[in-house]
Amino acid sequence: MLNTSRLTIFTLLALVLCLPAFPEPAEGTPAAPQKTDVSNDCSPCHRTSNPSADDLLPAAKCRRSRTNENLDEATPEQPEVVIMDQLTDLYVPVVFPHKLHAGMEAIGSGCSACHHHGEEGKIVTCRTCHEKTNDPGNLQRPGLKGAYHRQCLACHREWSHDTDCIFCHAKRGAIAGAESKGNADPTDITGKLHPNVAVPDKTVYPTPEQEAGSMVTFHHKDHVELFGKHCADCHQKENCSRCHDSAGPQKHVRQDSHEDCVKCHDTSDNCAKCHKDHETGTFDHNKSTVFELKDFHKQLACTKCHKEGKFALGKKNCKDCHEANWFPSKDFDHTKTGLVFSEAHKDNECEACHPNGLGEAPDCSACHDDRKYPKDQPGERTSTAPETPSDEKAPVETK
Amino acid sequence: MSEHAQPVSLRRGLMTPGVLILSCIALAGLAAAAYRFVFGLGAATNLTNQYPWGLWIGVDVASGVALAAGGFTSAAVAHIFHRHKYEVLVRPALLTAMLGYTFAVIGLMADLGRYYNIWHPLWPTMWQGNSVLFEVAMCVTVYLNVLYIEFMPIVCERFIGHVNLPGPLKSLNRPIDALLRLVHGTLAKIMFLFIVAGVVLSCMHQSSLGSLLLIVPYKMSPLWYTPIMPLLFLLSAFAAGFAMVVFESLLASWTFRRKPEIVVLSSYSRFVALFVGVYGVARLSDLMIREAWGGAFAGDGTSFMFLAEIGFGIVLPFALLLSAKGRRSPAVLLIASALVVGGVLLNRINVFLVAFKPPYAQTPYFPSVPEILVTVGLVATLVLAYRVCVTLFPVLPVEEHETLGEAKTAKKRRPAQAGSHA
Amino acid sequence: MGISTLDRRQFLCRAGVAGLAGMTLSEPALAAADEVGGYGVLVDTTECIGCRKCEFACSQSNKLTELPLEAFEDRSVFDQPRRMTADAYTVVNRYGDTAGAVKPTFVKAQCMHCLKPACASACLVGAIRPQANGAVTYDPWKCMGCRYCMVACPFQVPAYEYDHALTPKVSKCSFCFERVSQGGKAPACVDICPPMCLTFAKRSELLGLARAKIKAHPEQYLDHVYGEHELGGTSWLYLTSRPVTELGLMEFGEKPIPEYTEPLQHGIFKHGVPPMLLFGLLAVAMKMFDSKEDK
Repeated sequence: MLNTSRLTIFTLLALVLCLPAFPEPAEGTPAAPQKTDVSNDCSPCHRTSNPSADDLLPAAKCRRSRTNENLDEATPEQPEVVIMDQLTDLYVPVVFPHKLHAGMEAIGSGCSACHHHGEEGKIVTCRTCHEKTNDPGNLQRPGLKGAYHRQCLACHREWSHDTDCIFCHAKRGAIAGAESKGNADPTDITGKLHPNVAVPDKTVYPTPEQEAGSMVTFHHKDHVELFGKHCADCHQKENCSRCHDSAGPQKHVRQDSHEDCVKCHDTSDNCAKCHKDHETGTFDHNKSTVFELKDFHKQLACTKCHKEGKFALGKKNCKDCHEANWFPSKDFDHTKTGLVFSEAHKDNECEACHPNGLGEAPDCSACHDDRKYPKDQPGERTSTAPETPSDEKAPVETK
Repeated sequence: MSEHAQPVSLRRGLMTPGVLILSCIALAGLAAAAYRFVFGLGAATNLTNQYPWGLWIGVDVASGVALAAGGFTSAAVAHIFHRHKYEVLVRPALLTAMLGYTFAVIGLMADLGRYYNIWHPLWPTMWQGNSVLFEVAMCVTVYLNVLYIEFMPIVCERFIGHVNLPGPLKSLNRPIDALLRLVHGTLAKIMFLFIVAGVVLSCMHQSSLGSLLLIVPYKMSPLWYTPIMPLLFLLSAFAAGFAMVVFESLLASWTFRRKPEIVVLSSYSRFVALFVGVYGVARLSDLMIREAWGGAFAGDGTSFMFLAEIGFGIVLPFALLLSAKGRRSPAVLLIASALVVGGVLLNRINVFLVAFKPPYAQTPYFPSVPEILVTVGLVATLVLAYRVCVTLFPVLPVEEHETLGEAKTAKKRRPAQAGSHA
Repeated sequence: MGISTLDRRQFLCRAGVAGLAGMTLSEPALAAADEVGGYGVLVDTTECIGCRKCEFACSQSNKLTELPLEAFEDRSVFDQPRRMTADAYTVVNRYGDTAGAVKPTFVKAQCMHCLKPACASACLVGAIRPQANGAVTYDPWKCMGCRYCMVACPFQVPAYEYDHALTPKVSKCSFCFERVSQGGKAPACVDICPPMCLTFAKRSELLGLARAKIKAHPEQYLDHVYGEHELGGTSWLYLTSRPVTELGLMEFGEKPIPEYTEPLQHGIFKHGVPPMLLFGLLAVAMKMFDSKEDK
């Protein structure tokens, strides 16, 4: 019934809402995601197909699920838009951006959220069941007009609090698009069609019961902008109105507090990694890792080095770009690697220890018969920089 | 039948300063009324959808009818129960009642949105017997006519033998005289019917005025809303009726510089005390039984009005009238009767305006200037009309030992014509 | 005793004539809407979005104002609670949640069309009458403008055209009586309601619908159909998610308002007997006191 469907609808339309009266869409309107790269198709939500921190749309705090194309594949026959013109006297028909809504299916509960009461696996249109007027024989089933409005408004009134008719309908007799948002670019769903979402830069979670530290600083912004996390990576089974209702409390309630973190972080031990007695600063590639980003690397997209979400990199990764015989300049400050050379080693040529190449592990055998790296080291390890670039699973860098 | 104090017309000059002032007030009221009829209720009154009844209903109609109760109470005492010593009080009371009801209807006309439909309740196809207001309307209409009939003998008395139409109408003098005599003779035989009917009708509509607001159980302060509102209205009407006669008689004596009928009045005031007492007991025991004391000491305007009504309208005058000594003092009598009259007036105002707490009301009701002007103007006109009537018609009794002289010239001994006495 | 049997009979006869003139007719209570046959409207306040289209349709259908559609799109009116006026038979109000929860509730107000209407009981000329189809209608030609109906209405519904100097009318929802009479056509407001939160049907069916809705969604509705029993029942019924007192509706008992006055009226004035008895009693008293005095 309506109400169960309402709950599911909340879930369905988690991130993006946009139900303006779009103009008649031309063939191949950009609302149709052009599938270029299966893993990274961001075009429905972003202007670029490969967004980076530089190239994100300014307001793009949330992105669609990366899995929406599965829906396209599963239901190739789904309409791009649906023009609802069955009932029009005061207002022009509504052009319902069906695909845009359906694209959010992945973070919701599927097509049946709206296409309720249908046979399992079969999609029926609203008007199949809902008559134009109330059915006197079944008062519980509203007429088509009621069905449309209730379906849309169940979610829309929840978060936008905007139930003005012209939010969706252009008025009859009015100049087309003058009052409605009909001329908007259907792909530009943020900021204009979709209200900006207030996303916290960081959230400090008090963890008084935790011995290792009384708080966890979660840098939401870093996770989104630097580590490339999509909203739906963490926000799943969300109630839209929880975020979208400006009047309501914005809470993300988890069953288990580590539920979202464990997808990337190992929380089984090393509690102190996150639980600290003070707030931590944002991620800084230069400070938190051994690899200082200088002029050139700063400009790179994170994914240039950190492919497929892999953040733990070895020197080998450099060779993806650099020639095999590439090596850093002579003024390379080896202390950046967390190793301060002892006096004896300070003036060595690079090749003296790295005969197989600068990206490779050092070999002590040229001078020492009884020493072997990494058991024996040519200096002192500093605590500031770990031996390996970062925590095994920790995300790293963009620029 | 006692032979003392025959009523005569007062032959005195009408143009006194008091009359002039009253005339000015009446004219202002007339202007306000004209404003209301030309521009409508919205322009003239502060009535709202939440407060559809205001000063005109609360004071002009409801209070007017209550204060005009003297007509039937005095008639009942003097004629039905044959306390003939009170007959001197009957005619002024009758005149007050007649004028009071007439002006209540005039006030009602101002309040009615479609005043020209005021006859509708009399039209059988529109009768709606479930309505309390229908009963009130019927009773008041009939009673008003009864009052006119009861007053007819006084008119007859005045004109029989004195019909003197000028000029060409002269030929009508004799037939009119004959007609007057016929009416007078007939009425004398059947007057008892009208007297009894007047009492019955009064009891009915005085109580029904109290039933009017029984229909708003959710809108009235529990200090006033009670199922026995009809009974309380009837009892308070009795009290007001008796008190009004005393008050008016003393006032008239003072105005016309005559000696107050203190013997009659002091005896008559026992009825005031009786009914104020009964009314007070009924009122207070009802509050006790319903345990509705709650709001009485809340300290707000409503509780203040309630306490004022009980204290000054019931307890104080009752205390004043308890002592025989007090009843013999014109001053005490005047104050006590004024308090009772004022108390009943306050009660009607409280019931219709103060206790009425409609939901969704954003601003409380307070009468507008035109509303007040019309009400005050009506009262002024009523007093003027009273003044004119006592001048024209034999209403006020002549004193046995007229000392203030002026009325002497007008003294005309007639055969006993109680007029309203069969 | 001074009167003979004959005298008394004559006397009572005369008394009867006089008594009749003043007595109240004790006709049976006005034919109220048949509880089964009458129509009603179920207002589902949980579905109302406050679009004010009902106000627009009502205004158009009843020719109350010339206001264009745009005038009804102004949502700033919700800042203040409104009541019906001479120009508006219905208004929608917004009731924010005192607890600061998710969304406000919109509640349409109009004449409830009581099954036992206080206004009709109050009207002394029968200008307001409950009709068999559930509507409580008003006939301005009978009306004399006493506004007792406005005093009587427990829901504080009727408004008055105070600004009309000559022919002011009581103004209140007529349940689109003409439309409803045409084979059960729905009122204008019901027809236009976009989310169809107004359901027009026989009152008995609506109660079934309301019960079914409550049963299906106990989390959405309070288990109470406002108007089912209130004051003897109303043709318009409300489903709410919050206590009605939070939504600008008053709580009432089940006793119909007319029963506060009519039994008394009919009791005191039953067939004119009590007044005539009083008449007779007083007349007898009059004679008795007179004859006493004569002796």
